[in-house]
Amino acid sequence: MTDTGLELGPKSLDSSVGEFVKENSDYYSTEFAKIQGKTGFAWSWNTMAAIFGPLWGALRGLWGFFWTFLVLELFALVQIGRGLWGDLGASQMARWERLEGLVAKRQQQAKELLQQGDNEGANAALNVAGNLRKAADNARDAAEAASSEAVTILVVGLVLLVIVKVIEGFYANVNYEKQYLRWRAAPEVQTGLSWPSAAFGSFLLLGIWPLTLYRFTVSKPDALVTEFPIKKQFFTPTANWLEGGFDWLAVEFGNVFKGVTAAIRAVLDGLEVILVATPWPVVMLVIVVTAWRLAGPRVAVFSAAALAYLAMFGLWEVSMITVALLGAAAFLCLLFGIPLGIWFGKKPRAYTIALPVLDFMQTMPAFVYLIPIIAFFGTGKPPGVLATIIFAMPPVIRLTALGMRQVPEGTKEAAVAFGCTRWQLLTNVEIPLAMPSIMTGINQTILMCLSMVVIASLIGAGGLGANILEALQYAAKGQGMLAGLAILFCAMVIDRIIQGMYRRKTGQA
Amino acid sequence: MSESVIKLQGVWKIFGDRADEAMAAVQQRGLTKPEVLNEFGCVVGIADCTFSVERGEIFCVMGLSGSGKSTMVRHLNRLIEPTAGSIEVLGKDMLALGGEELREMRAMHIGMVFQHMALLPHRTVRDNVGFPLQVRGEPKSKRWEVSQQCLNLVNLEGYEDRFPRELSGGMQQRVGLARALASNPEVLLMDEPFSALDPLIRRQLQDQFMALSAELQKTTVFITHDLDEAIRIGNRIAIMKDGMIVQIGTPEDIVTNPADEYVKDFVEGISKLKLVFAHSIMEKISDYKPARGENLTKSPRTPHDTDLDHLIDIATTTTQPIVIQDSAGKDVGVINKSTLLKGIQGGKA
Ligand SMILES: Nc1ncnc2c1ncn2[C@@H]1O[C@H](COP(=O)(O)OP(=O)(O)OP(=O)(O)O)[C@@H](O)[C@H]1O
Ligand SMILES: [Mg+2]
Repeated sequence: MTDTGLELGPKSLDSSVGEFVKENSDYYSTEFAKIQGKTGFAWSWNTMAAIFGPLWGALRGLWGFFWTFLVLELFALVQIGRGLWGDLGASQMARWERLEGLVAKRQQQAKELLQQGDNEGANAALNVAGNLRKAADNARDAAEAASSEAVTILVVGLVLLVIVKVIEGFYANVNYEKQYLRWRAAPEVQTGLSWPSAAFGSFLLLGIWPLTLYRFTVSKPDALVTEFPIKKQFFTPTANWLEGGFDWLAVEFGNVFKGVTAAIRAVLDGLEVILVATPWPVVMLVIVVTAWRLAGPRVAVFSAAALAYLAMFGLWEVSMITVALLGAAAFLCLLFGIPLGIWFGKKPRAYTIALPVLDFMQTMPAFVYLIPIIAFFGTGKPPGVLATIIFAMPPVIRLTALGMRQVPEGTKEAAVAFGCTRWQLLTNVEIPLAMPSIMTGINQTILMCLSMVVIASLIGAGGLGANILEALQYAAKGQGMLAGLAILFCAMVIDRIIQGMYRRKTGQA
Repeated sequence: MSESVIKLQGVWKIFGDRADEAMAAVQQRGLTKPEVLNEFGCVVGIADCTFSVERGEIFCVMGLSGSGKSTMVRHLNRLIEPTAGSIEVLGKDMLALGGEELREMRAMHIGMVFQHMALLPHRTVRDNVGFPLQVRGEPKSKRWEVSQQCLNLVNLEGYEDRFPRELSGGMQQRVGLARALASNPEVLLMDEPFSALDPLIRRQLQDQFMALSAELQKTTVFITHDLDEAIRIGNRIAIMKDGMIVQIGTPEDIVTNPADEYVKDFVEGISKLKLVFAHSIMEKISDYKPARGENLTKSPRTPHDTDLDHLIDIATTTTQPIVIQDSAGKDVGVINKSTLLKGIQGGKA
């Protein structure tokens, strides 16, 4: 075999195709040669594939082929089934019967009224009966029309089936040739015929087709098919048991939860003193000057305008409360997230264990973990901060770890070669080189904190989120809009300042 | 010049989870590198390295890519732990040193230059050069003074406050050299310091390095994969293959007396006569004016990619000039004795 890759003579191709298809190798060699000789679509017909459809795919290990045509054939078969034995006009028929009943009832009523001498009432009832009769007639016509459509549907189904079969016949070899190319690169791809595969395919087919056909062609399928037979038998006791578990934990570890709450509250109180209790002109001035120093005059002007907006609409205090919430959450995120990220960056094994937890923290909808938080920490600001931390911590951990792992081995080695201790290595080499990535993580975490503020207000965290929540409850569009803009401005000011800082940092170093 | 500064005795390094098992098997049964890889899934980095380096010597280590040069030199400051053997530097048993002593040894006595510079991108050139001193806890004034001196040594005055990325590759490598000199170590380890540079800059830095080394009297282990470089700057050369040292000797020893086929291949490659070909020195046949008594139809003919060595062989058998043919067999050029001699002299007509 001359397998240089340069000279693929027809001979070597043949023998390897034979190795791949095992059965019928002459047929496939010619067909593959035909396909490979064409640049566009090659018309190559495979009768077996057309007849057996998905099962041929299963036998040859083409599972994409199997599933695609399983679904397409099923669709055609459902149409055929509906045409043959489906009760097409059934719903209209039922309506007609119901309406007829109503008509009879009204007529009876009219008769009774007439006997009582209430001519007007009788007329009205007859009128209604007449209208109902018209509707009933319509329904009957529709039912008749529907059942006469059965033939059309049957024909459409048959035509569809033929079309699907034709596509199968023409697509099979093209698909199989692609599989052959995959096999050349990855020898674990199935070769030849596999009867276990075919058996598995048949099993799937037998499981899927009859039930689905039954469901879509019979007008009133058995409840067993449409609904899962188990109702709330398991759900309720489990929910109760969990509830008990939460209660037990809340009592048993009450002190731990209280301690966490107290710690968060301490941070929060400190920030609130700085932001809310400090006279507003001082806070404003500090923010604008910070923006100027870190991010330049344009951001400073923008910040001044945003702050003016907050003040003018009386949202100053509530905004500062929001920023304090955000600040506390962000501070705690960074306080724990960066060291964790550094540790994970240096210990890949710890990181692999932590990864699912981080994924969980990020993908779990916030509403879900609000429940245990309320159970253990109650409502108010500290639980709100905690929920925010859970939501916003992963990015800074991830990006810090990423940054640490991206520090070139060679640079670290050089530092060690000059006699660095591990601490010197960390502070002089690893953290500075990981800084751009860490800064990105910090920025993302802070913005995620801000987006969590509205949700945290659900458990009574207050701030602008509470205003928005209130506006949602009373459909107060104006109020909601103003508060929403306030959140947007807070986010933009913070983001711009951090970005400016980041640019200064990375621009210099 | 008789005191050994570096002594390696039977040093082995085997990479992999089952290194110790593999080591035992190697010592009992004498397995080769591919056999170890097969049986234990372990890579033999270096095998049974024994040599010593005298004070003030430049000791070159030469070998193909993957022959274990970097692995070997990293043992000298114990960036890599050996699987077996003993290592002595400046009279100290490196393997017996504790963490603190080892760090002191690295910070005070052994400097290193890396193939890929490995400068700290967030620090200025000055702070990069001063880094080894900072690690030792020297004050800023001392650091600045020393880094200034070292930068002067490598002709980089005026670039102190730049960042590495603002410098060319050659300049960065000089910063790396200055950094290695900053702690004034007795021993310099240089892992292919000039390999990533273009030939001109490389030659310049080689000259600069040789001058410096003569002046400062450092003991140097110099890694290279280029025999020309090794011959230019080495007092002695060790040639490595598959982790083993196959020959140690002066450049003359190596060139005139190669120990085996592997070394011979290297040494052959170095001959100029094998590097210049007919087509780069010939005269165009249309421009050639035959001298009296010359008749090109009687000339010997040879393809355009014949090397000088071969041309000399041909020239000794004839009085006619040699006609050169292109790959299609057409006569395209002529080489007579004088063009040939000029070619041998300068490599070009
Ligand atoms: N950390 C490691 N783990 C496993 N094998 C390694 C490791 N480091 C080096 N090796 C192996 O050791 C052998 C020698 O590598 P080394 O880097 O010393 O070669 P080198 O001579 O410096 O090559 P180059 O000229 O390419 O730098 C190679 O086969 C390499 O695969
Ligand atoms: Mg190397």
